[in-house]
Amino acid sequence: MTTWTDSSLMAFADGEMDTGQSTQLQAALMADNALQQRLVAITEQRARVAAAFAPVMDEPVPDRLSQLLRAPASAKPISHVIDWHAARAKKEPRGTEPTVSSVAPAASTWAQWGGMAASIVLGVLIGAQIKPPMDDPHLGLQGGKLVASGIIEKSLTTQLASESGSGTPVTVQLSFVDKRGQYCRTFSTAHMAGLACQEQGRWAVQHLAALDAAPHTDMRQASSALPRTLLDAVDQRIAGDALDANSERSARAQGWRR
Amino acid sequence: MRDDIAALLPRLRRFGRTLAHNREDADDLVQIAVERALTHSHQWQPGTRLDSWMFRMMQNAWIDESRARVRRQQTFVEEEAGEHVGVSTNDAQMDALAVRKAVSQLSDEQRAVVGLVLVEGLPYKEAADVLGIPVGTLTSRLARARDALQAILADPNGARP
Repeated sequence: MTTWTDSSLMAFADGEMDTGQSTQLQAALMADNALQQRLVAITEQRARVAAAFAPVMDEPVPDRLSQLLRAPASAKPISHVIDWHAARAKKEPRGTEPTVSSVAPAASTWAQWGGMAASIVLGVLIGAQIKPPMDDPHLGLQGGKLVASGIIEKSLTTQLASESGSGTPVTVQLSFVDKRGQYCRTFSTAHMAGLACQEQGRWAVQHLAALDAAPHTDMRQASSALPRTLLDAVDQRIAGDALDANSERSARAQGWRR
Repeated sequence: MRDDIAALLPRLRRFGRTLAHNREDADDLVQIAVERALTHSHQWQPGTRLDSWMFRMMQNAWIDESRARVRRQQTFVEEEAGEHVGVSTNDAQMDALAVRKAVSQLSDEQRAVVGLVLVEGLPYKEAADVLGIPVGTLTSRLARARDALQAILADPNGARP
């Protein structure tokens, strides 16, 4: 006859015993009063301890805790969000917020903005081996500037970095606010990685790097590793920290406008 | 994730109470863990348990706080007797009070396993991950905690085990 140790009985009481052993134990319990009592003592103690702390579940949650989880802007811990707001107040050169609709900007909006284009550094193409962007249907030129279009634009606008899985044609890795106060995001496809920042409702490509496609990787699948040059470009532009999942979600909800 | 954490708050507070006993200290641990979770949310692995991740941050905060208080030679504030005065105390409430007091007399390590397994109902593997210890260590710690708890409850005024 098996001798049942206290630790076996505890495992049984905690639901950690495998089925075979637990069947054996149940059979043993039928015939052994002393064993029953040992087990009852353990299960009773477990129930008693759980019951002792159960009333905490019914206590009202103090405001200082629930407030932490309300609107991101009011939540103290996300200090970089607050910093960004402060930064925006200081750095926003225009007196008014840009009033770009959440829909892709109409051509007229773009034309109005065209005058500013000269003052904004054009996307920097790194790596001589990169294919001309015009060949890539996911990027386009607009107002003399390289912008994301097609699936890249869609991914930058809708995909959360925290939800970016493998197997998608475009992966978004990092979202942050740049020193001008605009949202920027890094992305990659099977053969290139880039950094795009919001400019007048479009994702203007600031940096692009070719990726060496490994012969055995699925070319339709986005790469997950970012080239060093791209990370350096992020470092140069980033103000504060990268967005966390919550800030990213609320940025998306606001159409990436600040 | 904000909503998911908000939904966990009652449980986080309960776990805090097994660690810290005193309500304010327990809520401080919850606050620290929530703040860390919000600033480090990218570190949470989707597909893993959010509650475990939060418990781990609370446990770490508790260890930090315990060490800091030892350095400052401060003692922990007991659960105020006043918290329970005026509440009509029936048998169940008396027992709950006695059990919570007994839990508070366990060691830090024992309180954590009691909180995770007996109160929060985590599987051994999950609780072991929260504490960063092997499952074997967890089960022996849990067995010792159970014995100690039984001894304290049998003789509340006896010498500490």
